[in-house]
Amino acid sequence: MNKKRGKMRLSWNRKCCICMLPAIMGTLIFSLIPFFRVLYYSMINNQFEKSFALISNYRRVLENEYFRIAFKNSIMLILICVPILVVLAIVISLILVFGKMKQKGIQISFILPMVIPTASIAVIWRQFFSDIENIFPVYLLFIWKNIGICIILLTAVFASVDKEIFEAAYMEGAGPMKIHLHMTLPISAPTIFFTVLLSIVNSFRIFKESYLYYGTNYPPDYGYTLQYYMNNHFLKLNYQNLSVSAVFNTLFAGMIIAVGLIFIRRFQR
Amino acid sequence: MLPILSTVGMSFWQEKLSLKPWTDLLFDTPIFYRMFWNSVFYAFVIVILELCIAVPCAFGLVTAKMRGKKIIFMIYLILMMMPLQVTLLPNYIGLRDMGLINTRMGIILPMIFSAFGIIIMHQYMMNLDEAQIEAARLETSSVLKVLIYVVVAQMKTCIIATAVFIFAECFNMLEQPMLFLKDERLKNLTVFIMNASDYEGKVLFPASVIFLIPVLILYLYFNETLEKGIKL
Repeated sequence: MNKKRGKMRLSWNRKCCICMLPAIMGTLIFSLIPFFRVLYYSMINNQFEKSFALISNYRRVLENEYFRIAFKNSIMLILICVPILVVLAIVISLILVFGKMKQKGIQISFILPMVIPTASIAVIWRQFFSDIENIFPVYLLFIWKNIGICIILLTAVFASVDKEIFEAAYMEGAGPMKIHLHMTLPISAPTIFFTVLLSIVNSFRIFKESYLYYGTNYPPDYGYTLQYYMNNHFLKLNYQNLSVSAVFNTLFAGMIIAVGLIFIRRFQR
Repeated sequence: MLPILSTVGMSFWQEKLSLKPWTDLLFDTPIFYRMFWNSVFYAFVIVILELCIAVPCAFGLVTAKMRGKKIIFMIYLILMMMPLQVTLLPNYIGLRDMGLINTRMGIILPMIFSAFGIIIMHQYMMNLDEAQIEAARLETSSVLKVLIYVVVAQMKTCIIATAVFIFAECFNMLEQPMLFLKDERLKNLTVFIMNASDYEGKVLFPASVIFLIPVLILYLYFNETLEKGIKL
């Protein structure tokens, strides 16, 4: 009987590999294989003729005025919002960890904005900021929504910093500002970089917030981001333009993610 | 907290203090109920199925010894970070080829394979107690039993925390129902709020309040579990 069992059974390691199978199959079917079709669509002129038109497709999209505005706005969001968000998160986390305030419960309260449905919040945001005609309400919404996860990540790493080195520095007369600037932050650099990366990635996702805030497919020019561009072409089902911008977006996001991850790796060593 | 309170406040206001927005919503807008249940239905089904997929996958990623494991992990990490608009198009094409556009399955299937659950569970499982797994393997050779009795039992807090986050994310989804569905009766509450001005009366604010309730209940109920979960 023992012999039979041995024959029938797969090795443990094999079984662990099989555990991954459902997820990998799903990802292949719904994301990776279709992505190659997207690549293919971005290279042909239309679904019927199917002749090669890579260069003209890309040129048409990249020279489009709206695509450019969208790209510029997306970059602006990264350059303005992400630094504010991360610095704010660092300051709050430092106060939470090293300040004398009781921190129990405060940390958890920052999760609330993460789980609250955006639709409900965008609605009230519209009421508050109905007469402001610039992008800042959306920026504020972005920061409000994303600061929670940053604070959670940062407080965790700040709390794990060895307290003894502070005392040594304190003995030598360094003020709290100096200690944190020269010791806490460099020690936590990998996590801080991860927070920056995560915020950039989340800034690609601001679309839903912004869309619900403006409540239209065609927001004012300053609010028009790459995601609007893609969304509008989605509604028209213009596969070529859509594919080109998807590939472009993938490369753009992929580049930032790759650079970010490599940077974090470096710092961990 | 302030935005929530003011939403609640606004829902009782129509020129003067009144219940009119609520009665408009609850009695004169029948599609609201349908969309509300759609939201809840999608979120529940996706949470359960996604966990059934992500937990074994993360377990495999942590324990299995095979080549290419790192690459699989990297692909998921990048997929998780990709903007939704980028992943939507491949999803759409995949669904279209299978004829799943405008069906409930079209919303559910791509979501349950999302990379988020896998990555989070993987991070949690890095500090899984291996001795317990070894001990369990002496008792049984079934991976399923080890998963259920050892891994899930050990990771309860983390799984609940992940489930709450997935629930919140699904409850909040807007683009998928908007793009993958044509039938109003299949769409969810986010779409309703988006188009609230199309309906009779000032239904926007009461709808937003009701929209908050399921997530708030989950949040308050699992508050401590969440706190433990995120600290690991």
